[in-house]
Amino acid sequence: MINTAFKPRSEILTTTPKFLPSSATFHNFYVAFTQANFLTNLKNSVIVVGATLIIAIALAFFASAAVSRFRFRGRRTILVVIIAVQMLPGGALLIPQFLAFNQMGLLGTYIGLILAYVAAVLPFSIWVMRGFFIALPKELEEAAAVDGAGIWTTLWRILFPLVAPGVIATSVFAFIFAWNEYLTAYVFMKTQSMYTLPVWLASFNVPNQPTDYGAQMAASVLFSLPVVIFFMIIQRRLVTGMSAGAVKG
Amino acid sequence: MKKTRTLAIGAFTAVAALSLAACSSSGSGGDDKTGGASDQKTIGTVDGSGKTLTVWAMSGDYTDETLKAINDKFKADTGADVKVETQQWADIGTKLTTALATTTPPDVIDIGNTQVSTYAATGGLADLSKYKDALQQGGTWLGSLVDPSTVDGKLYAVPSFAGNRAVIYNKKTWADAGVTEAPTTYADLKSDLDKIKAKNTASDFSAFYLPGQYWYAGLSWTFDTGSKIATQQDGKWAADFSDKGVKGLDEYKAFQNAYSSKASQTLNSGGENNPDQTQLFADGKTATIIGALWDPASIVKAAGKKLTLDDLGTFALPSPSGDGMAYNFGGGEVWGVAQKSQNQDLALAWLKVATSEDIQLKLAAQPWIPNTNELAAQAATNAAPINSGFFAGASKTFSTPNATKWATVEANKVMENLFSSVASGSKSSADAAKTADDAINSTLNG
Amino acid sequence: MTIPTAATAAGEGAAAVTGASRQPRGPRPAASRSRNRAPWLLMSPAMLVMAILTAIPIILLVLISFTNTDQRTLFTGAYDSVGLANYTDIFTDPEFWKSLVRTIVFTAALVGGSVAIGMLLSNLMTRLGTVMRYVLTIAMIFAWAMPNVASSQVWNWLFQPGYGVVNWLLTQLHVFGDMTQTSWANNTWLGFTSIWLLVIWQAVPFIALTLYAAQSQIDPAFYEAARLDGASEWRIYRSITLPFLAPTLTLITILSIIWDFNIFNQIWLLTQGGPDDTTATLGIWTYKTAFVSFEIGVGSAIAVVTTILLMIFTGFYIRRLVRTGEDL
Repeated sequence: MINTAFKPRSEILTTTPKFLPSSATFHNFYVAFTQANFLTNLKNSVIVVGATLIIAIALAFFASAAVSRFRFRGRRTILVVIIAVQMLPGGALLIPQFLAFNQMGLLGTYIGLILAYVAAVLPFSIWVMRGFFIALPKELEEAAAVDGAGIWTTLWRILFPLVAPGVIATSVFAFIFAWNEYLTAYVFMKTQSMYTLPVWLASFNVPNQPTDYGAQMAASVLFSLPVVIFFMIIQRRLVTGMSAGAVKG
Repeated sequence: MKKTRTLAIGAFTAVAALSLAACSSSGSGGDDKTGGASDQKTIGTVDGSGKTLTVWAMSGDYTDETLKAINDKFKADTGADVKVETQQWADIGTKLTTALATTTPPDVIDIGNTQVSTYAATGGLADLSKYKDALQQGGTWLGSLVDPSTVDGKLYAVPSFAGNRAVIYNKKTWADAGVTEAPTTYADLKSDLDKIKAKNTASDFSAFYLPGQYWYAGLSWTFDTGSKIATQQDGKWAADFSDKGVKGLDEYKAFQNAYSSKASQTLNSGGENNPDQTQLFADGKTATIIGALWDPASIVKAAGKKLTLDDLGTFALPSPSGDGMAYNFGGGEVWGVAQKSQNQDLALAWLKVATSEDIQLKLAAQPWIPNTNELAAQAATNAAPINSGFFAGASKTFSTPNATKWATVEANKVMENLFSSVASGSKSSADAAKTADDAINSTLNG
Repeated sequence: MTIPTAATAAGEGAAAVTGASRQPRGPRPAASRSRNRAPWLLMSPAMLVMAILTAIPIILLVLISFTNTDQRTLFTGAYDSVGLANYTDIFTDPEFWKSLVRTIVFTAALVGGSVAIGMLLSNLMTRLGTVMRYVLTIAMIFAWAMPNVASSQVWNWLFQPGYGVVNWLLTQLHVFGDMTQTSWANNTWLGFTSIWLLVIWQAVPFIALTLYAAQSQIDPAFYEAARLDGASEWRIYRSITLPFLAPTLTLITILSIIWDFNIFNQIWLLTQGGPDDTTATLGIWTYKTAFVSFEIGVGSAIAVVTTILLMIFTGFYIRRLVRTGEDL
């Protein structure tokens, strides 16, 4: 992919493959960069994905604490429902969700798309974080309770740092999902100025015009870069955090 | 435990009632059923000052200048503003279906001619029959555009432009084999190709690259012997390959096997996992293809500096069975007006501008084929030499059946399978025709 | 709205391991009034979001599955209740049973392949130097994060007849003869092979990274002791590494089963279910019904059936979860 992004059009398809471009060109990136709406759609993606991450993780943190640190009625039912939701085939909920969102007047707004993404990643996120909570010994809370700490203090001061790796793992997942999601973004948003980057990426594929493969690849590289950067930033923390959690736990 | 369950059931019924209500209340409008097509109406002047018309255009269909020209004239006529939203092709069916279901749909939508039936018969698009004369503006619309736009005798979309297919050939390779003039009969075409084949003996060279799954091209042979894919009688669709297409399929197979490489028998002209035929052309692997209007530009782009537009020529495919041209596939775009649009008057005023001669000639320069036979002929005389073959063939185009479920036939790759199994010989023409007929009948009538 | 194939649970794997390596811990019994209310308070924001944005659409989906909802319904609101007709249609359609069998076989091949390769890679990562491991990780992240249009483009570059790199390489090997003109998408087995490769390529990063994270938690002292005893590397892997990985492996396998059973994108991208529907799985069937034919009623019924089937297939896992309510 990276390779093709730098290739001139004439070298992209050849009978004997060339593994490296013989003359590197940045022209493809220029074309991709100047394709309509790049910056607007990038801004939309950042807003939607950022808000999805924050909301989903906050909600999943509280919910997973509840299902793992407390025993209460209906807990098992909730767990089973959370798994079952994930078994629905892709796209099955698109039309019902569209109808529901239409009734609620949420279509065409950031908040609508953000909520749709939160709903999509929430079950999985609760699931992941729950695993981290279970690994923590209950003595932690008992000690905190002896020291007179309330539930909120215990959650925030003691448990949150310990499940940080879970928070990070969840955010990676939520990030990749929301960043790459195309269909919901396309269907829920009504105007060009509200579309996200995957929709911009699709604009390189026009059936009744010659396809510029090089520009398409350059666009894909630009598109994937934030994911890789995000991953690289937290990658170290992911591994170190996980070992730290394991030792302390 | 018991308590929670009753509660849950209560919640379920409440939600169910709510959502059912949501379901049934979403239907509205659309009571203005039109009478017969005979009582034609004119499109009067509309005062639209302060209003905004929303138009959806597909990516790659209209240049900014063309759209601006329409909008400026429209604004001068009505005082209303226009908001153009460019839409992407991936999942456009889902996008349109959901958008047309809302109470605030786009007012005017740009859709493919073969898509109309999907939205028309189901109540998504407004019936425009009454305005047919007003919108036709004295011309005769191209059959490949108006036929698919007409469902059950009613006009649901307005022809905008066509993009048909023609033969594109490499003048240099042809000249090297001693052919300097484009053929006008099928026999000439075959003898020319024989010369080219004799001159170029590489095993992967095709004198005429005709990939087996490329059904837009293959249909030229079956339409030639009278098949129309499927026709509707008394509300039932009947596919006719077995009846009228078998002879065409036999000739198609003979032609394909004689002039196209063996590997091409099971391939398509491009797309996933298929070599792009314009690339093969650019690389000198073939001297001739059946291509679309934008393909000459693709070839030149793919060839780097090896080929220019002057090295290419185009002509309409001659009819395999008789005189004149063969039918060629006429894709194209049409304008629909959303049934639930709040601005149908304005939408019609906009369409009147979009179908006017000035705009149509702008489209011809993009280049597309204008929407009427008259304008197409006029544009043909001014067309760049490279496009002459396309404009010449514009009056003899075909399209796919305007059945609501036609999209499913395409998704099931029925047409690809028909032509590639004939080309590769995995099925006889009669067997392949029967398989295709059965699949089409069961889908369209299902 | 289902989660895409490659989703991360890197943390979960580690957590499962650490959780399994000690005694399962019961949640603390309710101690005070505030503790009784606390879980509901904590749950309520998430439950509210899921109730409105997931539960209502799911109920709607189930209701729609008993109607003949199609485009007309969306545009005009008209629909008829058809009772169980959608369901009986599905179960009497031979295409359903054929694609079900295909889906099961293909899911088994995908889950087996991706888990095995993931294990191999994670094992490899523990033996690589820091630099090589970093390179491998970044390569895997790129494969994982790559947008669909790019991966289909890359696949085109690899498998296209006439131009494909893989075709070219196989031809250079001189084992299978001239493969340059072979069309992968046009042969059931080659089609499945290329889909399999694409899915594996995108699923392995998640599996390998999760397993690597889990594997790196194993105390090196175990290995040293085993090596002192002269145990072979294979034996060490089998008797030390595998038992440690077991909970993570179970979890990954379950998730892979769920994701691969519903796989759609990669098949649609490469063969669209062809040739002659021989690579059409349940996911393809659902998509065609719901989003090509827009028979939304039938499509919803298929989605419900698929979900129930998956629940049956993963029933042992869910039953264990319900019984213990705890680990995994």
